[in-house]
Amino acid sequence: MSWHPGADQIEVMRPPAPGAAGGTYRAFAETMRGLKTTFARVIEGVHTLQYPEQKTPVYPRFRGRHRLHKFEDTGLEKCVGCSLCAAACPADCIRVVAAENTPELRVSAGERYASVYEINLSRCIFCGYCEVACPFDAITMGHDYEMSDYQRSDLIFTKEMLLAEPLERAPLRAEGE
Amino acid sequence: MPRPEHRSITFTIDGREVQAPENTILVDAAKLGDVEIPVFCYEPKLGQPVGACRMCLVEIEGIPKLQTGCSTPVKDGMVVHTQTARVKEAQAAVVEFLLINHPLDCPVCDKGGECPLQDISYGWGGGTTRFIEPKRHFVKPLELSPLIAIDRERCILCYRCVRFSQEVSEDYQLVLHERGAATFVGTFDGHPYVAPFSGNIIELCPVGALTSRPYRFRARPWDIEGSGSVCTLCPAQCNVSFTVRDERVLRVLARQNDGVDDGWLCDKGRFAYQSVHSDERVTQPLLRDGGELRPVSWERALATAAGLLKKAGAGVAGLAGGESTNEEGFLLQRLIREVLGSSHVDAAGVDPVDLWSLARPDLQASLQDVEYAHTVLVLGTEPVDDMPILDLRIRKGVRRNRVKLAVATARPSSLDASAALSVRYAPGGEGAFVTALTAAVYGGDVDAPAAAAGADVDAIRTLAELLRTGGGDDDNRAPGDVVIVWGTRLLGADGGAVTPALLKLASGLALTGRDGGGLLAVPASTNERGLLEAGVAPGLAPGFGDTGAAGESYAEAGIARALRDGDLTALYLLHDDPILSRPDAVGWDRALEKATTVVAHAQFLTAGLREHATVVFPAESYAEKEGTVTHPDGRVQRLRPAIGRQGQTRPEWWVLSELSRRLGADMGILTGAMASRQLFDAVPFYAGLTLDRIGGRGVRWPADPAAAAAFPPPPEVRRDVAYETTATPNGALRLGTFRSIWAGIEVELSPALTFLTPRQQVEMAPADARRLGVAHGDKVVVAGDGASLEATVVLRNAASPGSVFLQTGIQTDAANGLDAALVEIHKA
Ligand code: SF4
Ligand code: SF4
Ligand code: SF4
Ligand code: SF4
Ligand code: FES
Repeated sequence: MSWHPGADQIEVMRPPAPGAAGGTYRAFAETMRGLKTTFARVIEGVHTLQYPEQKTPVYPRFRGRHRLHKFEDTGLEKCVGCSLCAAACPADCIRVVAAENTPELRVSAGERYASVYEINLSRCIFCGYCEVACPFDAITMGHDYEMSDYQRSDLIFTKEMLLAEPLERAPLRAEGE
Repeated sequence: MPRPEHRSITFTIDGREVQAPENTILVDAAKLGDVEIPVFCYEPKLGQPVGACRMCLVEIEGIPKLQTGCSTPVKDGMVVHTQTARVKEAQAAVVEFLLINHPLDCPVCDKGGECPLQDISYGWGGGTTRFIEPKRHFVKPLELSPLIAIDRERCILCYRCVRFSQEVSEDYQLVLHERGAATFVGTFDGHPYVAPFSGNIIELCPVGALTSRPYRFRARPWDIEGSGSVCTLCPAQCNVSFTVRDERVLRVLARQNDGVDDGWLCDKGRFAYQSVHSDERVTQPLLRDGGELRPVSWERALATAAGLLKKAGAGVAGLAGGESTNEEGFLLQRLIREVLGSSHVDAAGVDPVDLWSLARPDLQASLQDVEYAHTVLVLGTEPVDDMPILDLRIRKGVRRNRVKLAVATARPSSLDASAALSVRYAPGGEGAFVTALTAAVYGGDVDAPAAAAGADVDAIRTLAELLRTGGGDDDNRAPGDVVIVWGTRLLGADGGAVTPALLKLASGLALTGRDGGGLLAVPASTNERGLLEAGVAPGLAPGFGDTGAAGESYAEAGIARALRDGDLTALYLLHDDPILSRPDAVGWDRALEKATTVVAHAQFLTAGLREHATVVFPAESYAEKEGTVTHPDGRVQRLRPAIGRQGQTRPEWWVLSELSRRLGADMGILTGAMASRQLFDAVPFYAGLTLDRIGGRGVRWPADPAAAAAFPPPPEVRRDVAYETTATPNGALRLGTFRSIWAGIEVELSPALTFLTPRQQVEMAPADARRLGVAHGDKVVVAGDGASLEATVVLRNAASPGSVFLQTGIQTDAANGLDAALVEIHKA
């Protein structure tokens, strides 16, 4: 179907073209005015960070990628697999499957432990409700924010990944910084 | 006792006038006015309230002290307050008191999220505790049984579990030990609490003290979905709710339907769901190839089956097992009759005209009648094995409504202790016994049939007297409502004589057209009644119509004979393995051996199918099925799929209609609901049923006058049939059989229940054992008619000497391998 503009003609209004003097002024004087701003900023110093060599430091209460914790003395996992974090999560991105500790395989301090603990970080909205819900401080929001990946499925973090130390720590903002 | 009638009264609760039936318990009456009174120990299913927890305290004007709402019946003009400061203080105090010794380890507690103690502490508790002393401690968790874990610290001593064991299932195993804070629940001598209904205490416990071991830590309430359906593992057809997480059934809960199950489940129904996810499931079509069953594509399996069936044509017979739904049975008989032109289909294995005559709606008792009748006669069935939930219903009637119970069985019954009268007859004397009883009620010769049944004449006369005059009190005897709970196995034993006698007995007791009395059949398999009504019976079309087929239509035994003789060449098995489930295993083995084609729908490859099936289609489990089944009292109930079908399984209705399409006849079925529609249209007394109407509670068609009027009158029964005389032992022993509640491959394949898998045992009287020189627990060989099997001796004091009982339905050494009336026993 072809388009018929009908009676609706569009009129384009243009300013008059600059003359020779006006054109010359634009090409030199206005350019110099712009460069003045540029050079003025150069002497002000550097504002950007050389990411990824340099990273933005975060505040102590920054809510980054989660971490699961173990007891330092016994090495047992703090998480008992109660699923309260999953209940609290508004994005519904935590999946916990619990199992029972046995004398041969003692994973956590309580009767039960999380045999599967997964967070789908592509859905997480970093609200921190899971951290608030956890009765054992087993899950906390860490400082990591470097989580981009090539596959969505790689963004499902397993228990092992969450328990492990992050490969690189995000720098913490110092007092008063 | 007839159902009590209550007049409606008006009482005031929190300033609101509420109408309620008089004498309703206040807690329930308050709900009618949208007022919730918190409770822990009150559970109407358990009978009389005990007032153990004091959570339900309310203020009633005119009574100075606070009253327990769970044990106060409402009266006209009562003024109740639940929101006053006094009540609130009391409630907060009770919660605080209960939590004094409560561990509050909710994060690791399996009840967390569905815990009444959590809910009530939030809703009515004070929110703080003043208790800083150490709490009591117990070792935890302990195994109360292989199925139940007990955490004694969490117990709030509400008595629910103990009351269940003492007053509902009457197994008298659970008790409270010790006193005060040291009190705990356990069995008397610490043995495991193993009983047919033990799992119910898990659901009853208002805290996480009793938890299911198979479900332990599997999921939280927010991880799961509930899906209502019906359990098809036995004829009781209890309403259940499957707990599903990640497409797996993790738990089965009762879905209370007072007309069916009263909110209880047996342990088989509660734990055998595990077999749904068993590795043994057949999940793809199998085809016999070079003597072995090998997985093939659906296309190849269907093409082969269609080809083989086409070749066999009218030489095909169909057998439907009890787990088939009405729709599956209906389509099977269409395939066999309409498409293949054969007339040989059967399900129940007994004369269908007998079942038809005894299923008349004017004779039909409902399950609830059992509870309110004057007298209940249990005839030739062991409810706890054959229809477990019925056992609880009978006990409830006896305990709460003073129903007089009479038991007449060959094998000693677990109901004997509750019965006003127990009568024994010899196995094989079923027909003679019913004839004698009828004669004693109706008039006629009692002595001859009683002798033929091996029963005591005086006992039969006392029983007749009880049935005839059970209605009044001791001074004023009157005929009352009688419910005769009879096992359809009786018909298999001596069918010809049982039916006329039973019908005559019913009319002698004026049970025809009587509200509150009648006959209640206990079928031998889950959907026996539904399959019969759907036309899976020799010579009877759906709705007891005329098939119009010429010549004889073989029933189960006839099919086996015809297969052996080569008159039939192919067998279509729907959820059935005749070697396991039908009498005369040896004869069936030869019949299957002889058959050129055996097409089967099966969930599991039982021995018979592994040996003889040509094509096996994977069958849906009951958690995957849609369709309807019919309860023994005529209630049509609906199955709904809870999970997706396992592996490559496809619905049976699809396979049956696809096969008939390939055989050149289109059944016109594209969905499961269309199959139901066709069934409802074909059965006159199902007219007007829709899946929507059946809904979650089912519809009892015999209770609907229009449907009852559409019931085709059965032909006049033959009255001249002679009863059989029970075999004279003459040194040998009469053989009776029974099927244990734990029989069935589902039990064996559920890891939680395998420990209950029955092994063959021979039950005998101590006198016989002494004579034979065997003792309890001995291994013996039971031989009869050329066959023999191994069994363990179990002595039962109540067994009548001269008879022994063996189990059927088990995988090895089942009693149907012996086709003999008399057996010899010697030490192995
Ligand atoms: S931070 Fe929020 S969205 Fe992310 S996992 Fe925790 S609760 Fe869920
Ligand atoms: S992280 Fe905390 S809240 Fe989540 S399951 Fe583990 S213990 Fe429970
Ligand atoms: S019983 Fe209820 S209140 Fe007690 S620990 Fe378990 S979930 Fe918590
Ligand atoms: S174990 Fe549960 S049901 Fe039994 S008394 Fe204790 S709290 Fe009640
Ligand atoms: S509910 Fe009334 S005392 Fe327990």
